[in-house]
Parts: sequence; C-alpha cells; structure tokens
Amino acid sequence: MATSEGFQFPKEHSFPPFYTPQINLSTRHAQLTKWSSLILSYCRHHSIYRLSLSDATNSPSSPAYPLFNNEAINRRLSPSYVKEIVNFMKKDGRAEWYGSDKNEGGGGDVVWIYWRTPEEWAGVVEGWVEETGNKGQVMTVYELTEGETTRGSEFWGLDQELLIKAIQVLAKKGRAQTMGGEENLGVKFF
Amino acid sequence: MFLKHIDLTTALRPSYLPDEDLLFVQDNVGLYEGKFKLPNQQNGQVYLTSHRICYVDKAEPRKYSVALDLKDVERYEFYAGFLKSSPKVTLIPKATKRSSLQQRSPAHVAVPSRSGNSSPAHRQDGALRVSPVEPTPMSTATWVCTICSFSNPVPSNFDPTAANAHTPLPPCLACGIKPTLTLVLKAAISNASTRQPSSPALQTPLPVRPKQIADLTSAQSSGLTAPPRSSDPDASFHCPRCTFANHPSLLSCEICGAPLISHDIPTNLTQNPRPNTESPGPFLNSIAPAPTGLENPENVKLSFRRGGEKIFYERLKGCMTQRKWLLQNAPPIPKSSRSESTNSVPGAAGSSELERQRPKIGGIAGLERQTQAMRKNNEIVIGNAFEDLEALMASAKEIVALAESFAKQVKGAGGSSASENALLAESASQLGLITTKDIVGSDGGNSLYLSELARTLAEFLTDDRRGVLRKAGGVISLVDLWAMFNRARGGVELVSPADFEKAANLWEKLELPVRLRVFKSGVKVVQGKDRTDESTVRALLAWMKDLHEFPPDREVPWDWHEFGRGVTARDVAERFGWSIGVAEEELEMAEERGVLCREEGIEGLKFWENLIDTGEGKGYKDEATLKAELTLKMLKESGFI
Repeated sequence: MATSEGFQFPKEHSFPPFYTPQINLSTRHAQLTKWSSLILSYCRHHSIYRLSLSDATNSPSSPAYPLFNNEAINRRLSPSYVKEIVNFMKKDGRAEWYGSDKNEGGGGDVVWIYWRTPEEWAGVVEGWVEETGNKGQVMTVYELTEGETTRGSEFWGLDQELLIKAIQVLAKKGRAQTMGGEENLGVKFF
Repeated sequence: MFLKHIDLTTALRPSYLPDEDLLFVQDNVGLYEGKFKLPNQQNGQVYLTSHRICYVDKAEPRKYSVALDLKDVERYEFYAGFLKSSPKVTLIPKATKRSSLQQRSPAHVAVPSRSGNSSPAHRQDGALRVSPVEPTPMSTATWVCTICSFSNPVPSNFDPTAANAHTPLPPCLACGIKPTLTLVLKAAISNASTRQPSSPALQTPLPVRPKQIADLTSAQSSGLTAPPRSSDPDASFHCPRCTFANHPSLLSCEICGAPLISHDIPTNLTQNPRPNTESPGPFLNSIAPAPTGLENPENVKLSFRRGGEKIFYERLKGCMTQRKWLLQNAPPIPKSSRSESTNSVPGAAGSSELERQRPKIGGIAGLERQTQAMRKNNEIVIGNAFEDLEALMASAKEIVALAESFAKQVKGAGGSSASENALLAESASQLGLITTKDIVGSDGGNSLYLSELARTLAEFLTDDRRGVLRKAGGVISLVDLWAMFNRARGGVELVSPADFEKAANLWEKLELPVRLRVFKSGVKVVQGKDRTDESTVRALLAWMKDLHEFPPDREVPWDWHEFGRGVTARDVAERFGWSIGVAEEELEMAEERGVLCREEGIEGLKFWENLIDTGEGKGYKDEATLKAELTLKMLKESGFI
C-alpha cells in the first residue's frame, strides 16, 4: 500500500486493472464509484479544494500526483479517464468544473472537488455562527478563512471562492447578506 | 416379433449394424398395424437401410422407436393413397416360427401365393436350399450373355472353386456365343454368397435331394410356385418359367432350361396332409405381440403423410432384391478343400486322389510321391488363385484409381497437422452413413435434409473415437467444424455453408447433445449441451484463484497474493485447449458477467479477477432499465396496471 503523507490508499489503488476503463457497465460503475470516493478522501486528507487535472496526472510536483499515478506498479490513469471520473462525480454533486458558473464554458482543466459541497459548507458556517453567537455580525470573507476568530473551525483555510459559494447559498436561503465589493467582500449573518 | 425396439444414437438416430447402409429417410410417417393406427407411432421419421426399416418417433424417440428387419418381410405392397387417405407401404411378415417341415408339402406349395395371410410362410423354403449333406448343390445362378443379354443358367456341374480356363463352358442358349470364364465365375460366386447363409439362420437341415434346391430358388425368383399338382411321381409337370410340361425325371426344362421341381420328395413329406398351413391361428399366436402393444401383427403399414412414398418404395424394392442382410453373416466364399479341387481337375488330380485312398507306401518312394503330390496340389491351388485374381483384376483398375484419388484428397488438405490428417482419414471411413440430399425425401423442402444433417453432425461431434470436440477443448468454431467435416467427406457430397449453419441451428430444436452458440461479437461456436457459461466461468475463476497461490513466472510489482495476475486470451487458450478466438470470446463473456475485469496495457489486453466490483456495482442499473422501471412504477401508481 502506497502512502502519501499519511494517507492510506485502498488496496484497489495498487490493482493494475483499476487504471483501465472497464467495459462492463456495472464493473465500470463500481470502478467510477471507487475512484470518486478515493479522490474525495484523498482531497479531504490533503485539504485539496480544486485540482488541475493536467498537473495532477503529469507533473510530479502536484499534490494529487500520487493519486493518479502509482509508480510502484507502473500504472497511471489517463487524463481522459480522469475527466470521465470527474464528470461522474459531477452527477453526484461532488465535483464541478472550475469557472462553469461564471459562464466560461467549463470543461477546462481545473475542477472543484467537493468533498463538501457548497451547501454542506454553508451548513458548517451556519453552525459555527450559531455556536459562536456571531448572528447579526458583519465579517469579511478574509476574516472567516484566515482570521483569528475562526482558527480551529473546519472552514479555516478554506478556498475563498468556495466560501463565497457557500455564503451565496446562505444568502439565497435568507440567512446571510453579502455586502461590499469584489475585493473585500463582507457578510452579515442573520 | 416383427417390430422390435431399437437403440438410438446420441443424435436420436438408429444405430446401424456394421454393414448397414442408409438408403432413404422420410419424415411425417405413421405406423399402422393391420387396419389400426398405432397410437404412439403416428409421427416420426422412417429410415430405410439395407437391412431394416427403422421408425424413430418424433415426440418420444427413446420410448417408441421401433424397427423391423427386412429379412422378416415376406412381401410388401404399395398403396397410392386416395383422397384423404395417405399413401402407404404395407409390409407383410414372414411366419418365422413355423416349422420348415411343412413348407415342403406339395399341398402347401400349391397354395397360390396371392394372399400373404393365408400362406404366410412359403418363402421359408429358403431353409432347404442348402443343406450340409450336399457337397455340390445344384447351381441356379444365371449369367447374362454379353452379346444378346439372355440370362443363361450356370451349368450345374460348374464349380466356381475348381473352374479354370480349361473348364468347358456351354454357349449362350440364345445366340450360341461362349461366355468368358470370369462372367460365369462371377455369377456363380454371387449366387453362392447369397444362398449360403440361410441355412445357419434356421438350422433345419432336411434330407432332401439336390434337385429340390433348384426348384425352390427358381420358385422364389420367378415369384411363381411351381405346381406339382399331385403326389403322383409319374405325372408330367410344368416348367415354372415357360409352362412346358416336362417329363418328371428331367432336372431342367427342355424348352427354356429353367431348373425344375422334382417329384422325388421323400414320402413322409408328400404324405403329410397339410397340417395347419391354412390356419392362421397358431401363426398369429406364435408371434408374440410387440412391446408396443401390437395385437394383430398380420402386417405393418407405413403411412406417408407428407410424400416420399414412391422413392421409399423404389428403394425398398431394390433393397429386397439385393438382400444385403444375407451377406452380413455370410461366410467368405467357400474355399475348395484340396480333395475337392483335385477331384474336379482331370488327370494329375485324379492320381493324387487315388494316392490318398491307397495304403501308404513307405520308404523313399513314398516320400517322393508325397512331395510330388504336394507340388501338384500347390500348382492347382496357385492356378485357382490366379483365376480368381483374373476375375478381380477386371474391376481392380477402377478401385486403385479410386484409392489414389482419395489419398490425394486427404493429403491435399496441406498444412494441417499430422494428427489432423489421421483424424480425417479415420473419419472418412466412418462417414459412410452420411446423409446426402438424394437419400432424404425431397418434398418437405430442405427441412428433412437439414435435420438429418444436424443429426449427422451431432454424431460426428460426439463420436468418442474421433473426439472432435474433446480435442478442441469442448468448443470448436463453426467455421473450423465446417472445414473439418467437408474434408472428412473426401471431396464428395460437400455441405454448403448455408446448409451447415441452418443444420447447426436445429440442434437445440432436435434436442441433440451439441449446441450452437453465438458470442456477442457474432462468432459462432459449437459446444456440448452440458457446457454452459456458468461452468466456463467457474473453470476460469478456479484458475484465477490458483494464480493467487502460485507465484508468477517473473517478478511482478503488485501483490500477487492479493490480486493474482492478469491473463491474456493466449494464456487461456493454452490452458483450456481452446482456439484463441474462442478464448477471447469466453473471457469477454466472463467480463460481461462481471466476473473478470480488463487491463489494457503495453502488454496487450489482460483479464483479471474482478476485484473492482466488490458489491458496489451490484445495485447498478443502466439508464434504460431505470427508465423502464420508473415507467412501470408510475403506471402502477396511477392504477393502469
């Protein structure tokens, strides 16, 4: 079992056929499911929020390189199959092409890996607000992700764009209101 | 018993006797016993062979299939059918149980043979034709003159075993041209071989005079019964052939030369007041009802519901004339014992015969004489042998040519392995009973031909001696089989690919022990019936499991204890003896069942035990099924179903 910084890969990761797209539909479904859960747990372990697919499959410097490349058995996942896995995860709401919401077409190289979806993050933030009695307070996004008050909470260090997505979810529900400009976005919780 | 239960081959066809030839097959035939239909034998195939007529029931072949021996058939009649009544062939059995003593009674012989039921046994006379007490039976063989095609009788003193170039031969009675020795020899031999075996069959030697042999066979061949009107030996009697009234002491007719019936019948026979010849009672009782529940075995009718009766009748006729069953247990053509041959050769032979009867002369003179006699004997024997050879040589050229062309065909296959050639040669000799298009009835389109072909193929495949399937690991591709089969036929009566495929498709319907299987790629293979995908998968999986235990040939980076190793189609083909094409298909089949998974790499396509799908994929359904289920659910909810 290859480990990468304490991450325990499942045994499939060193099973050679795991890197070949399966023809049989149910086998393929199982393969996609396994890959998707492997990617999610790997990203959670390494706090990866978005992945550049070309980097992850090709450049050894990428933190996700060991995920798609098993050098011990000399097998690697093809970029096209990684794309397919991402699309499969997208159906479950566990991944999203970066920039697809900004009308940039999507399908690019970078992908959000939602080991927590924006909705889930929204729930986490909301729970933290309730717990810490920050209702009615106005906080900046920077404060939330980098500030001293949120240190120790789950979303500390969260990708700012992802946090904004979560806050937008809250805003839609009427639990929060965004204010301020692009650069220094503020948020008020109700 | 007239109708006997028969054994069937794996392909549900009658198993043939060693010399039996298949002559005709017709389906949609029903059996009648007398006037009544046999309830269980109303739809089946009839196989006419040189020895038997076999009925194979369509619904319950193993239970109700019966056969009757042609040798038990007294007569056969043809009924052309009328309106809704199908054409029929009626077979009237001989009364085998009757004592052959009665047959000689003149009163019985006088019974006109028109009605088979009232005198069912007069053909039984055959029993008397040859009896062991007669060293030189009178020959009734005929030779056909090559000039005028008149059939002449072979002279009664003509002994085929002793004849040589110097044997005097009578000229043709019609044109006066002398026949060649070989012609007469052939006629005499063929006559001897057809006559011989009837006596061991019945084993009722009678002390009859040689003359009787002649009359009986002539009566048989002409279909007339020679009519000695009374037991008065002085009365003249009529020649069965030309009806000329001959003097009773004559052996052959003065006018036409036909052998005559003698009146010199032992008195105890002539006086015999026709015991129960006319009574059908004992005759009927003597034949036990067949196991199929036959009550009235007076005759058996074959009802041809879908045609074929004419060809059947023609072939039956030919068959009854040839009487091949006599050959089956016929002893080889009698070899002359030395004394006989010396007897018939004048001169030197006569002296050696005298020698034998004389008391032995001792000393050197005796030895000299002995060697002399032996040399002479050898000369005669060799002479005889060459005479026989001459007769053979007439047709030898053709046979040699045939054998050569056959060998060429087998060799011409080229490129095939030696074992395959051996298999082919072996097969070819066993393919004598092959179904050809002209054997089967042509009326029902091709279907009968195809079903017979399917059966032949099934037999070809399952025959243990050849082991075609076994050698191919239980699976053989249809194309390979086709090639093998046609080559085994030796270049004649080849089967077209279309017919072959159609026949293969019939296996399942005919419940034969082989099956045609189509892989999803469209490759067609032939395999045994008991061979299923499950058993193949099980075998594959068991092997895969073994690979967890045995280390791979070379170092592998992964944990082979955990995963085993990947196998290529080639590995599988080697392991199970399949062809590579078959192995590929089987692997893909197993993959499709989710038992195996694939790995495409630089080493090619490999298959592994499916460790990816360990339950996750089980609940997976593709979109089409999901949609269908959803629709069904909605319909149910809305009360439509």
